[in-house]
Amino acid sequence: MTLIYIFIFGSVLVFGITAVAGFVWAIRTGQMRNFSAGATSIFDDEEPVGTMTDTFPGAGTHADRDTKQEGRDSGQRD
Amino acid sequence: MNRVTLLYVGILFTVVLSFAGLTIIPQHQLGSLEPIVNDDGTEYPVEPTGLVAHGRSVYVSLGCMYCHSQQVRPPGFGADIDRGWGSRRTVARDHIYDQPPLLSTMRTGPDLANIGVRQPSSDWHLLHLYNPEITSPGSIMPPFPFLFDELTLEVERPYDALSFPTEWDPGEDVIIVPTYDAKALVAYLKSLNASHPVPEVPR
Amino acid sequence: MANETEAPYGMPEPSTVSWREGVDRSTAVVVMAFFASSVAWLLIGSALALAASIKLHSPGFLGEWAWLTFGRVRPAHLNTVIYGWGSMAGIGALLWLTARLCRVTLPFRLPLMVTCVLWNVAVAGGTWSILAGHGTSVEWLEFPYHWSFVFAGLFAILMFSTLTMFTRRKVSHIYVSQWYLLGSVLWFPFLYAQGNALIHGNLATGVVQASANWWFAHNVLGLWFTPIGLAAVYYLLPKVLGRPIHSYYLSILGFWTLALFYNWAGTHHLIGGPIPAWLVTVGTVGSVMMFIPVTTVAINHHMTTKGHFDKLRVSPTLRFIVFGAMSYTVVSFQGSLQALRTVNEVSHFTHYTVAHAHLGVYSFFSMVMFGSIYYIVPRLIGREWPSGALIKLHFWLTATGMVMYWVGLTWGGWFQGLEMNNPDIPFMDTVLMTVPYLWSRTVAGVLMTIGHVVFAVSLWLIFRPEARDIKGPTLFDPSAAVTGGEG
Repeated sequence: MTLIYIFIFGSVLVFGITAVAGFVWAIRTGQMRNFSAGATSIFDDEEPVGTMTDTFPGAGTHADRDTKQEGRDSGQRD
Repeated sequence: MNRVTLLYVGILFTVVLSFAGLTIIPQHQLGSLEPIVNDDGTEYPVEPTGLVAHGRSVYVSLGCMYCHSQQVRPPGFGADIDRGWGSRRTVARDHIYDQPPLLSTMRTGPDLANIGVRQPSSDWHLLHLYNPEITSPGSIMPPFPFLFDELTLEVERPYDALSFPTEWDPGEDVIIVPTYDAKALVAYLKSLNASHPVPEVPR
Repeated sequence: MANETEAPYGMPEPSTVSWREGVDRSTAVVVMAFFASSVAWLLIGSALALAASIKLHSPGFLGEWAWLTFGRVRPAHLNTVIYGWGSMAGIGALLWLTARLCRVTLPFRLPLMVTCVLWNVAVAGGTWSILAGHGTSVEWLEFPYHWSFVFAGLFAILMFSTLTMFTRRKVSHIYVSQWYLLGSVLWFPFLYAQGNALIHGNLATGVVQASANWWFAHNVLGLWFTPIGLAAVYYLLPKVLGRPIHSYYLSILGFWTLALFYNWAGTHHLIGGPIPAWLVTVGTVGSVMMFIPVTTVAINHHMTTKGHFDKLRVSPTLRFIVFGAMSYTVVSFQGSLQALRTVNEVSHFTHYTVAHAHLGVYSFFSMVMFGSIYYIVPRLIGREWPSGALIKLHFWLTATGMVMYWVGLTWGGWFQGLEMNNPDIPFMDTVLMTVPYLWSRTVAGVLMTIGHVVFAVSLWLIFRPEARDIKGPTLFDPSAAVTGGEG
């Protein structure tokens, strides 16, 4: 039973020291700088900053299309 | 080594820390609680056995704890004791043998920590389980007719047939008897008694 | 017409498609399987929810059968929506987001499909067990423990796949959503394993099992659902708007304070209970400290959207996500207050808590998942949602239902608590007082369930041949694109 306590408290201690050491290292090596680069990392030429990537289907150009359409096997449309 | 390592380490560290705090340390503090031994050799609390233990498994199987709690809050915090739900607050020692404890977090129905003291009548419990409307008009507790068998009168009424008040009487030919599960559940409910004095609650 | 959609498993030629389309297509079958499964569980969970709700004000409803007694239907509802709907939708979102953010194709697709199938089997088996009377009466861990071994194996596959994508990532920067996702996929298996071992394995005894129970259950919210939900919002909000997150520094602060504080909050479920006072205090402190991460997230999301709230009329994803993100702020502030003893004295054990729980799991997490699914599915299968009207109907039914749910039970629950604390009021009177509010919850639940059916219909229709094909995974209708302003 004592072994379990040693293991658990020991692992908490090890994790704790490593985490603190890691944090200190991170600050020293400048990981906490240049944040704005991170925010724009999800954008690129295809989906650039300033362009929406989602709209209601058919909004803006057609009235809402409903699903009652003839020609069930009309296949894929361009 | 890059900042990913920092991420991994931090993630693991934060959860291990709370794990230690909310489970390991309390277990260390409370894991060695022993029952109280009375002068006459009896103990409190007692590990449920036999009919009472089976009754507890019926309680668990039917999910009673989703409406009923089993914990008495301290005086001055809520009105548990003023309502007569217990003579003292419940403590960790009361639950030594509860695996798992059925503390619950809902009081759609009243607290049951001391129901064995408050309502010692088996007949009341059986009627109440069969149809809560009978003993407690307005109750939203569901009925448990499946805990009972319906028989037709053959020679004489079985000794454990339910006696209904007049307005609920199903008639002379209909006999409702509790199943083993019903009797076990009632035995368990009657065993719920957390009034024994404990050192954690000074008189 | 040569069509990249024909080979969902294969990685299309890099020269003909963008990396984005290739990544999306690689995740298509697995993520779609998880999403479809989750919606099926949503419908089942909603049916169980309605049954449970009706039983509370009309206890004779379906009252003859043991397998439908309230004490079994209620945990069956909880487990199907948590492990069926919520977790499977969350896993689908987690896998897609990770693939997108790492810019790698989804690895181990066959093991992941097996994971999806077995997850369904485990949820179905566990739910059946509960209805058959083998539930454990341990909140959020009601499945008989042998199912936990199945889930443990599936978690291992999930962890391995996510970590593999992470180590193969092609971007040097780790976006904020990825921190949350990495957190959730490492935290939850640890929680799940420990929770089961401590409680079902009886490594903890007596009331320590209760503390372990609520360490586990609250962290399903805090370290599984919340990180996935926030990861989705942090990615989709800027993506839809075309505007980067307002303050990246706040994101970092928000993540670490969440990681540090959220997982201590669990014992606020046991305030006043038979556990040591320090244990309760620790839970209260952790809960109140949550003001910090929640405020940073709220500021971040608000400042990112500020000036562009009109886009809520344009984007279905945005509507659901913003509703969800705002709900996150409200439910978290409410939760922090509920952890204070004076508030808890009234709200504990009442329907107030039930309303709070649904504000979190439904109004925050589920609405964010609805928005995520609306964004992700077209990009998986190259098709557009056939009807904007259906999406709007889904939104208004679920949003209205949720508000009605919360208002009714919060109001009724608070007064229930006040009356319970007045020993001169007979207990039966406190019960009778709640009945009208329980009826209002059933009505709200009906609205929400219809909304779910509408959602399922949309999901079915998008697979019909009539649904319009689109070339790329970007805009629904390029001519309707609205410029979002400068970043």
